[in-house]
Amino acid sequence: MFCRSLVRCIVISTALMMTGGVSADSALPKDPLNSVMWKSLAERFFPGEIIFDQRVIVSAPYDAEDQMQVPITVDATQIDNVEQIVALADLNPIPHILTFHPTRAQPFIGFRVKLEQASPIRIGVKTTDGVWHVNGVIVNAAGGGCTAPALAHGMNNWYQTLGQTRAITRRESDNSARLSLRMRHPMDTGLASGIPVFYMSQVEVTSPQGEALAHLELFEPVSENPTLTLKPLVQDNIDELLVYARDTEANEFRFSLPVPATVDN
Amino acid sequence: MSPSSRFRSDGFSRRQVLRLFAGASVCACCGSVHANKLAYNLAATEIAEGTWAVHGSNDYFTLENGGNIVNIAFIEVPGGVVVVDTGPSRRYGEALLQLIEKTIPGKPVLRVYNTHHHPDHFLGNQVFDANIIAAPQQVIDNIAAEGEGFTDNMYRLVGDWMRGTASTAPGVALDNSTEEIGGRQFSLFYLSGHTSADLVVRDDETGIVFSGDLAFYNRAPTTPHADLNVWQDSLRTIAAMDRQLILPGHGMVDSTGASLEQTGDYLDWLQRSLTEAAGSGLTMNEAMSLPIPDRFRSIDVVEAEYQRSVVHMYLALEDELMPLIEMK
Repeated sequence: MFCRSLVRCIVISTALMMTGGVSADSALPKDPLNSVMWKSLAERFFPGEIIFDQRVIVSAPYDAEDQMQVPITVDATQIDNVEQIVALADLNPIPHILTFHPTRAQPFIGFRVKLEQASPIRIGVKTTDGVWHVNGVIVNAAGGGCTAPALAHGMNNWYQTLGQTRAITRRESDNSARLSLRMRHPMDTGLASGIPVFYMSQVEVTSPQGEALAHLELFEPVSENPTLTLKPLVQDNIDELLVYARDTEANEFRFSLPVPATVDN
Repeated sequence: MSPSSRFRSDGFSRRQVLRLFAGASVCACCGSVHANKLAYNLAATEIAEGTWAVHGSNDYFTLENGGNIVNIAFIEVPGGVVVVDTGPSRRYGEALLQLIEKTIPGKPVLRVYNTHHHPDHFLGNQVFDANIIAAPQQVIDNIAAEGEGFTDNMYRLVGDWMRGTASTAPGVALDNSTEEIGGRQFSLFYLSGHTSADLVVRDDETGIVFSGDLAFYNRAPTTPHADLNVWQDSLRTIAAMDRQLILPGHGMVDSTGASLEQTGDYLDWLQRSLTEAAGSGLTMNEAMSLPIPDRFRSIDVVEAEYQRSVVHMYLALEDELMPLIEMK
C-alpha cells in the first residue's frame, strides 16, 4: 500500500516536472551549438529573456593545443549597456568559468581556461534591460584538464610565490586603458586526487578615488596563474589602477598599476 | 612535429581509446568501404643515385592521412640499406619495409636512424630490430619520457591507422661523429632547437643531408618543444656543412639551401611578432589573429601552425616581458 502511493507520487511529480520542462523549452531559443547542456545551463545561468547575438564576439582556437591553458577573448563592445558577462564551458565538470561586471570598463575580457574535454565555450552578456545576449564556440580537446594537478604542485615552494603578479598597463585611447595581468595561483579545482579546492575567487579594479571599474568573480576552471586582460575606462585623469584580489582561503593581494598619461600605439 | 605532450590524456588510457575505436569499427563493418582497408600507398622517389625519399603530405595529422605527413628516407649502401626515420605508426613501418624490399630486393636493413622523438618520425620503429635503431642518448631519453603520451594522442588524432602501435626506443645510443654502415660513411651532427635533441645525418658519399625537423620546406615549422635561438644556431650549422642536397623533415627536397633560409626567416618572424604581441599585452587570441606576412602565405598549414606556436610560446614570453609588480 505504502509502496504503491510512493510510486504514484513519483509518477505525478515526474509528470509535473515534465510539464514544467515543456513550457521552459518553448521559451528557450534553440542552441546553435546543439549542446546537451544548453537547457540546464540556460535555466541556471541566464534566467530571463535570451537571444543569440553575433555581436558577442568569442575568440578561441578550434583545437586546444594545451588544454590547461585554452585562451578565450570576449569582445562585446558592439553592445551598449552591458551589466555582466558570464563565461561557461558546457561540458566541464564545473561549467562556470567566471562572471565579469564591467562597471566602468569596456565589455571586453581575455582569460584562459582548463578544459576537461571538447566543449562549447558559452558567453552570456546581460544588458541592463535584463536580456541575455548569448554566443559561443566549440573547442576541441583531448581530455583531463580539470582533473590534472596544477604544475605548481611539481614545485615544493609554490606557496612562496602565491599571488606574485606581473602586469602591463597601457593607455589605448584617451579614455581607455589595457590592463594585462598574471597572478601566480594554482587554481586547484578540487577534482585532482588529494588536492583540495583552492582558487583566486575575486578580482576588483578601482580608481584611486575608490570608484569601481571592474569586478570579477573567478571559479575553478580558470587556468593556473590566472592571466586576465581588461580594458578599464580611465577618463577624468585616472592615472592609476588599484587592484584587489582574494582567494578561497581569504588570502588578499593588493597592488597599484600606473596608467601612462599618453596614448601609445 | 608533435601533438603537444601536455595535451595528452592523463587518466585516459590507450585501452579506453581503443575501446572507442572498437565501437566505431563495428559500424565500419556494416557498409563503409574505406574504413576496412587502411593503406598508406607509399611511393619512393629517387632523389640521388641509390637514395630514396618517401614523402608524406604537408598537412597536419588527420584520419585521412593516418599521420603520414613526414619525409622518410632509405639509402642503398654496398652491404645493405640505411633508413632515416620510421613514420607515424606500426602500419607505416610495415609499408615502408615492403617498399624497401620492392625497391632494393634482397638487401638487409643494417641501420635505422631516429632524428628526434616526435611521433611521426619514430612510431614505425616496432617493425625493425631495436638493436639496429640508433639515436643520440637524449633522443632515446625523450622517447622514454614522452613516447607513450604521444602514442596515446596519435590514437586519438588518426584512429585505427595506429592499431598495434607502441612506442619503441632505439637500442643504440650514438656518440661518434661518423660511423660506417655496410661500406658507407655517415657523418652525425648532434644539434637541437626543434627539440632538445635533433640528429642530422649526412651521407658522406652523396653529400645528402637528412636534416630531420630542423629544416621545413614550404610546410610550416612546428614548435611544441622548440628553443628558437638554439634552432637558429643549428640552421647556421647546417648551412655551413659541405653538402649536395637537403632532405627536410617535411616538404620538398632542397638543392639550394632555401629550406634553411625559409625556416630561419619564419622562426625569426615568429619570435619578433610574438615578442611584440606579448610585450604590448595582447591576448593570445589577438596574437593568433595577427596577419601572417605575404611571403609565408604559400607555406602549407601556416595559419594552423602559427596558432599552435602562439600557445607554445606565449606563456614564456609573458613571463619574460611582463614586469613584476610590487605588492602593497
